[in-house]
Amino acid sequence: MTTDNSGDVRLSGISKTYGSFTAVHPLDLTVPQGSFFALLGASGCGKTTTLRMIAGLEEPTAGTVHLGDQDVTHLPPYKRPVNTVFQSYALFPHLDIFENVAFGLRRRGVKSVKKQVDEMLDLVQLGEQARKKPHQLSGGQQQRVAVARALINHPKVLLLDEPLGALDLKLRRQMQLELKRIQTEVGITFVHVTHDQEEAMTMADTVAVMNGGRVEQLGSPTDLYENPRTTFVANFLGSSNFIEAEVDSRSGEEIMLKAGGGKLSLPKARCSAPTTAGGKMLVGVRPEKISLTHADDAGEIPEGRNRITGKIANASFIGVSTQYVIDSAVCPEFAVYVQNVERDSRLVPGADVVLHWSPAHTFGLDAAQDIDAGIETVEEEAA
Amino acid sequence: MAAVTEVPPPLAPTAPEKAPRKRGRWTPYWLLLPGILWLVVFFALPLVYQASTSVQTGSLEDGYKVTWHFATYWDALSEYWPQFVRSVLYAAAATVLCLLLGYPLAYLIAFRAGRWRNLIMILVIAPFFTSFLIRTLAWKTILADGGPVVGTLNALHVLDITNWLGWTSGDRVLATPLAVVCGLTYNFLPFMILPLYTSLERIDGRLHEAAGDLYAKPFTTFRKVTFPLSTPGVVSGTLLTFIPAAGDYVNADLLGSTDTRMVGNVIQTQFLRVLDYPTAAALSFILMAAILIMVTFYIRRSGTEDLV
Repeated sequence: MTTDNSGDVRLSGISKTYGSFTAVHPLDLTVPQGSFFALLGASGCGKTTTLRMIAGLEEPTAGTVHLGDQDVTHLPPYKRPVNTVFQSYALFPHLDIFENVAFGLRRRGVKSVKKQVDEMLDLVQLGEQARKKPHQLSGGQQQRVAVARALINHPKVLLLDEPLGALDLKLRRQMQLELKRIQTEVGITFVHVTHDQEEAMTMADTVAVMNGGRVEQLGSPTDLYENPRTTFVANFLGSSNFIEAEVDSRSGEEIMLKAGGGKLSLPKARCSAPTTAGGKMLVGVRPEKISLTHADDAGEIPEGRNRITGKIANASFIGVSTQYVIDSAVCPEFAVYVQNVERDSRLVPGADVVLHWSPAHTFGLDAAQDIDAGIETVEEEAA
Repeated sequence: MAAVTEVPPPLAPTAPEKAPRKRGRWTPYWLLLPGILWLVVFFALPLVYQASTSVQTGSLEDGYKVTWHFATYWDALSEYWPQFVRSVLYAAAATVLCLLLGYPLAYLIAFRAGRWRNLIMILVIAPFFTSFLIRTLAWKTILADGGPVVGTLNALHVLDITNWLGWTSGDRVLATPLAVVCGLTYNFLPFMILPLYTSLERIDGRLHEAAGDLYAKPFTTFRKVTFPLSTPGVVSGTLLTFIPAAGDYVNADLLGSTDTRMVGNVIQTQFLRVLDYPTAAALSFILMAAILIMVTFYIRRSGTEDLV
């Protein structure tokens, strides 16, 4: 089982166009057997189209889809060893839960389905509901039926199209853990489409962030969060502060930058922009990586940290942390999240402060992109 | 989230809110009134009147009196049972034909027509813009002896088969059972297509995708998902076709002969020519009861209580 690659999904140069609109630009992607892979992006970014091309519900305009060594590009969905959990589930309303789950087995001519269906319903804790109709179940239960209906066929790959989108927040968190548990238990390749970055990060081993029909960046959740390569990724996953800076000098593995009146240091490995001296660059840092020190104590800040001075414009206490908005010369709305461990009572709006963080938490991006990419789309999605 | 402090409930306004509410309670009944009046005057009263007519005896000269003469029912049934059987058979045949012709068309409109959908819908409804009579008379021309339809059917030896089955006779289509059933099918086809279309159109397209994803071939998807989900449309379509077809007399009158008389023709003759009102009323009630029983049985069997 360990060297089995029949559950690999390989997309080579796959693309989809509708008339003059390109939904997915030529894309190469390999999802290894047994992994939990997430396609993350705002609506209309091409993630669902990509998923539907794997399922066979959409014919690619160009390119091929392989499952393991089998070329399935032109196979109809009913001949592909993949199953889909549809957005809003698409349960058959005229069949009871048992028959919904048994549907795939019966179509493949399996005679005695009772034992398998019962086992599968137990796995998703719905044994008691077998004879109910879908509309008699709650959203969370329907979602589990949809998962059971797909998983019972032992597909090589399970495709999940925004499976938790219709659930409320609390249930969604619960189902995320549940799906992750099931995936670990059955060891099937999961390809999960979502617009919820938190969902992608908690569940997936590998996340591909899509934007405008292209994969912006692919990597582990930590890698994407700590080392974004584009402003879109930096904004779409969590939030980021950006400073427009100019390359001053390079010394070994370190790049020195000028921003406002001060200097910032950036490890070369964390920079995805050209580093010619005098060139512009966007320097990013996550709000929670920043420490806040009152200007009076500036002398206590250790050497070698990146610093910026500013004035607290706003502070909101949200329990575990306090979120500050700092007005600084390099960025008018600098966000800083400070854990509420030891609260400094001097840090109130109007106070002069020094923001400082480790250069290892800094990342450098190409200046020739929209600073706000990925922000609006997140808000639209929430609305 | 739990509220930190109790918010006092807003003071219950008493007097100003009660007045409009009281008026509001009667609004539904006022809205029902015109409809109820209409039904009482044009449905309930005639029904009672017909019921009383059916148990009257007498003659046109001496006048009719209610004598609770229920034997009229038995006499009517024993004399006209062939026409009853014929009505049911013709209506059933027309309903089956409507379903066979209408389902594929409704399916096409609902799932495949794309931008042609509205045009096809208009074509389905367009015949209603001409009178029922004119359309049926047109069929008389279409099926006329020696006309192209009869000629073609004859050349293809279709008439040999229909003659053998007793649906046509000799070289004629007009004035045979086939002509009457064709007329019924034509006239009631839209009543089959429209509910079928509504029912098919409501089916979530993702269910087809889900069935395909779960290894159902296209025809299996139709058999296991599309058709079962369209049963409300099938049931209401067949009812909307069968019920009026069973009581129809225009098609049998214009396209048929004395051998194809349906119960509707008998009722019409009894009322308007023979002027035997009790027999006509009794026949109407027997027809109504027969249809009610058949429909009840049918709905029970198909298990569809929620008709579109």
